Amino acid sequence: MNIQMNMSLAEKLAILSDAAKYDVACTSSGVDRRGNGAGMGNSVAAGICHTFSADGRCVSLLKILFTNECIFNCAYCQNNCNSDVPRASFTPDEVCELTMEFYRRNYIEGLFLSSGIMVSPNYTMGLIYQTLYQLRRVHQFNGYIHVKAIPGADPVLVEKTGFLADRMSINLELPTAEGLKKLAPYKSRHTILKPMRQIQNRITENKNEVALYRKAPRFVPAGQSTQMIIGATPEHDYEIMRVAESLYQKFDLKRVFYSAFVNVNQDANLPVLPGGPPLLREHRLYQADWLLRYYDFTVDELLSEERPDFNIYLDPKCDWALRHLECFPIEINRADYRTLLRVPGIGAKSAQRIVKARRTAALGFSDLKKIGVVLKRALYFITCSGKMMYRTKLDEDYICRNLIGDRTQIPREIREAGYKQLSLFDIGMEP
Amino acid sequence: MYTFICEDSPNGIFSGVYDAWAFKIQQNKQMPDGGGQSGSRAAGQTRCTHDDIRLTSREPDNYELFSQYFPVTPSAEKSDKVARTLCARLGTEFYETVMNALLAVIPERKGEIDKADAIYHTVVLALSSPAGANTLHRLNHPHVHRVFTLSRATANEAHHLLGFLRFRELENGVLFSTIHPKNNALPILAEHFTDRLPQENFIIYDENRRQAAVHAAGKNFMLADASDLDEAMIKRESCREAEYQSLWLAFFENIAIRARVNPKLQAQNIPKRFWRDTIELSRTGGGHFPPSHAPLPPE
Repeated sequence: MNIQMNMSLAEKLAILSDAAKYDVACTSSGVDRRGNGAGMGNSVAAGICHTFSADGRCVSLLKILFTNECIFNCAYCQNNCNSDVPRASFTPDEVCELTMEFYRRNYIEGLFLSSGIMVSPNYTMGLIYQTLYQLRRVHQFNGYIHVKAIPGADPVLVEKTGFLADRMSINLELPTAEGLKKLAPYKSRHTILKPMRQIQNRITENKNEVALYRKAPRFVPAGQSTQMIIGATPEHDYEIMRVAESLYQKFDLKRVFYSAFVNVNQDANLPVLPGGPPLLREHRLYQADWLLRYYDFTVDELLSEERPDFNIYLDPKCDWALRHLECFPIEINRADYRTLLRVPGIGAKSAQRIVKARRTAALGFSDLKKIGVVLKRALYFITCSGKMMYRTKLDEDYICRNLIGDRTQIPREIREAGYKQLSLFDIGMEP
Repeated sequence: MYTFICEDSPNGIFSGVYDAWAFKIQQNKQMPDGGGQSGSRAAGQTRCTHDDIRLTSREPDNYELFSQYFPVTPSAEKSDKVARTLCARLGTEFYETVMNALLAVIPERKGEIDKADAIYHTVVLALSSPAGANTLHRLNHPHVHRVFTLSRATANEAHHLLGFLRFRELENGVLFSTIHPKNNALPILAEHFTDRLPQENFIIYDENRRQAAVHAAGKNFMLADASDLDEAMIKRESCREAEYQSLWLAFFENIAIRARVNPKLQAQNIPKRFWRDTIELSRTGGGHFPPSHAPLPPE
C-alpha cells in the first residue's frame, strides 16, 4: 500500500474522484425541494446534469470516495486492499469545502459520497455521518446528497445518516450470491440485503410520519438505489432482470443501475473482454429496465429460460412486439394507455399526448408525427381510424427485416464508440 | 384579412393580442345588424371572426393587397391585462407555457406559423372552448402545436442551462456568469438561482441580448439592460477563484472512464454551443486525454 502524508487537496481530489468513477449512479432526481431562503441550495425533481465527461456520462454530483483505503479485497474493485494504487482520505471539512464552493459556482447539483472501508464499517459510516451532519447543519447545505450505506455498519448510524441524505444506496455488486462469494469474499448477500430492508422499512414508516406531521424530518426522500456489475460473472440477462424485478417489487427501489464491467485489476478470476466493456448489453438492460418501470412489462414477457438473453439487433420492445403479432395492429384512436405503451415507436410521453389529444379529434398519421411518435417503427403495428399508413404485411420476417434496417436500433454512441463487430464480443461473454 | 404587426417581445405580443381582440369587438359593433344571425347579413358585410385576424411578430416582407395592416404599440397596461386574464381564467400552467413560447427564438422557416399568430389563436381557442387550459393538449391543431414546439424549445434550453451555467467569483465576492442562449432563457434561470442561492450576490449576463439578471442577497432578482457593463470589473476574479477552477478541472478529468471514452456521445449530450461558457470543456476541449495515473484499458 502506498500511503502518502501531507497531500494537497488537489492531489486527494484527483485520487478520490478517480477511485469513485466506476460507481454509476450520478442522478440528482426524485426530490423537489424549494430553497429555504437562508442556506444554500434547492433540488429539482427531474434532476439536472451539469456537464458530461469524456466518456459521455452525465456529471451531476460531486462523486467522490471519502477514502480509498479499504480492508476488503473484492476482485472487481480497483481499490481492493491488494492493489497498488495511491491512497488518500479526505477530512469532513475538506469534503464540505469542496461541496459548498463547487455548488456556489454551479459546477454540481450536490454530493455523492461513497467510501472504501477504513478500519471497520462502523468507523467509516461514522465519518460519513459526520461529514453530512456538518454539511447540513453547519454549512446549511440544502442541495442534493446521495450517500452509500456501508454494508455491516450499525443500523443506528445508517438511520441517522438517512435523515441527512436524499438518496441512499447499497451496491448489490453482482447479480448472484455465488458470484459475490467468488469475487467479493468479505461481502455476502446477507450484509447487503439487511440494510437495504432496513432503509425500505424506515422510508415506509417515515411516509406515515410525514402524513401525520407535515414538518416531520424526511428520511431518504428520493428513495434508494443499487447497482450491479454486468459481464464479470457468467449470468444471463434473464437472471439479471429477474433480480432487478424482485428488487423493484420487494425492496421498493427507485432505480437499479447496471455497470458494464471494466477489468481494472487483471485478476485471474475475471474475464478478459477484448471488445472493451459490454456496452451494448448494458444498453439493452437499461432499455428493459425502463420497460419494467414505466411500460408495465414483466421480465417473463421479455425473456425466458429458453431465450435467456436479449436480442442484440433489436431493442427489447420491438423484439417482444415481433413475437406477439397477434396483439397488433392496434387502433390509435381507441386503444387504452397501457396498450399504446406496448407499441414500438411510442414512448411514455407520446402515449400520454395521444390520450389527451384524441379527446377533441380523431388523430391521423401526420398528427402522430407531430406528437413525437417514431412512425418508421410504429407503422407496422398501428391503424389510424381503421387505416394503416402504407400497405404492409403483418408478417414477422418482413417487419423484422425492415426494423433491423433502421440504424437507430443500435444506438449511435455504441455504433461509433470505436470497437467493431460488437455482435461477436457481446455474445462471447465466457472468460 | 386584418394583420397586426407587433414587436417581438412579451410586452409587444401581448399588446397585439389585446388590440386584435378589441378590434374584432369594435368591428362587429359597427355592423348594422349588431352581429345578428348569419342569415340576416347583407352581402359583403360578414361578421369579423378571429380567423380574419392575423398577428405577426416581424415586419412582413410583402404586403398583401386585400389585407389591412395595423402596427401595434407595446403597452405595459394592455399586456398586464392579457397576462392577468390568462392567469385568472386558464391558470398559471397555461400562462407559463405561453410565456415560454413568447421567449422562444426559432429561425422562421417558410410555411411555419408566426409566433405571435400561434399565441393569439391558441389563447382565443382556450378562452372560447370548454376545455380551457386543456386546449394545449390539442396537438393536432396547427396553432396549438406551434405554441407547444416554441414553448418546448425555451424550456429545454433553460433546463440545459440550469446545469451548464457556470459562476465565477469576482474580486468583490459577486458571482458572475456569462451565457449565450438562443432563446431568451434569462428570466427562467434568474428565478431558479434566486431560489437556489438566496444569500449570494450574483449576476447572470446574456451576452447575445446584452441583458443581465442581477440578484442581491436576500432580495428578488431584477432584469436590467447591461449594454454599459464594466468589462474590467468582470475580469478581476477573487484570489481563490483560480484554485477552485483547477480543482474542478482535476475532478472533471478524473471522473471519465478511459475504456469508455466517447466524444460523440459527449457532444450529443452537451451540444458544442454550450462549451464556450463552461470552464471544463472550453479549457480541455472535452478532456479526452485522461490523466497519467489513470489505469490503462485492458489489453
